[in-house]
Amino acid sequence: MRTDDLIRALAEDTRPEPPPARRVVPVFLPAVALSMAGLLAVLGPRPDLAQALTSFVPAMRHVLSLALFAVALTAALTAIRPEGHVRLWPLALVAAVALGLLAWAWMATLPEARGMALMGKTNSICLIAIPILSALPVAALFAALRGGAPASPTLAGALIGLAGGGAGAAVYAVHCTESSPLFYVTWYGAAIGIVTVVSALIGSRLLRW
Amino acid sequence: MTGQDDDWAVLLRQALAGDGRAYRSFLAAVTPVVRGIVRARGRGFDAAQCEDVVQDVLLAVHLKRQTWRQDAPVRPWLYAITRHKVVDAFRARGKALTLPVEDFADVLPAEAEADPTERRDMEKLIAMLDDRSAQLVRLIGFDGASSAEAGARMEMTEGAVRVALHRAFKRLAQLRERHVD
Repeated sequence: MRTDDLIRALAEDTRPEPPPARRVVPVFLPAVALSMAGLLAVLGPRPDLAQALTSFVPAMRHVLSLALFAVALTAALTAIRPEGHVRLWPLALVAAVALGLLAWAWMATLPEARGMALMGKTNSICLIAIPILSALPVAALFAALRGGAPASPTLAGALIGLAGGGAGAAVYAVHCTESSPLFYVTWYGAAIGIVTVVSALIGSRLLRW
Repeated sequence: MTGQDDDWAVLLRQALAGDGRAYRSFLAAVTPVVRGIVRARGRGFDAAQCEDVVQDVLLAVHLKRQTWRQDAPVRPWLYAITRHKVVDAFRARGKALTLPVEDFADVLPAEAEADPTERRDMEKLIAMLDDRSAQLVRLIGFDGASSAEAGARMEMTEGAVRVALHRAFKRLAQLRERHVD
């Protein structure tokens, strides 16, 4: 086929398609809503949620999760453009705040109480629940951004995982009663890490073009 | 430089709004530039192989055109797509070329320009489509039929032709992807 023939054929296919970024909201919001509905139905919200949201240290679980989601989604939307340069410092900033909080809690907790605060009582359910709650948001982001053209499909997949994991963690935080940063930075972080690695692997295949 | 980019941006914006004529002008305008990059980067590829890569780039530009941000310059976006596809082509043909080079060392120089199969990557892929899609792409590509004419000949509505054509191009890119592995 001559290149001119190809051009003529391509030019006949002019159906406008929305840019990938504009597909995110219509699929992502229902996905998060379903995750939240699942959490409320199966695990339920923590009884003192309103109180937990108004005191600084426990509320930071929500703040950090949502910040991670926002920053990672922004980066993912850049990563799916072929010429997009992903800035990693906003992600590093969120990580630094989380680690700062972790270090502060380590100092503020009595040495004999640190082990208990770190392990908590619910680390295994946290490690299972966050990836499950992240599955739909991650899937929604992949569905929305599949039409993208990332220079690095693996990086784009990882950023989708961070965004979806952040959303999943924010949903889980509505239930979670563990208020020490020693617990939530560690275990939320580990759970989001799992989601991110899996998403990077999915991205390396699904987002190839 | 920037003047040209502005022209491209105007054409591509119109194309994204559904203007086929602007789109064709856009593709025709960027093709020589893409070809220049592919030839400069693709040392070791002969002209026919380069043209296959150029066609890969155009197909990618087509399927990913909505990733261009309408307020951004066209050139960096176009270069990024081109680079991505040239790298792909190296990876694919690197494998394909290392094998026969030793086996056919003595026949290679004579064959390089004469062998027409190298230029037929896209045709091979079209042949792998289902019959109706292949017929549609050929009608429009080779015979120069418009969507309406192709529809009339294949007893499809123009809308159905456009949907089928779009699917055919997506499928071609997928086939190419597999072909590259």
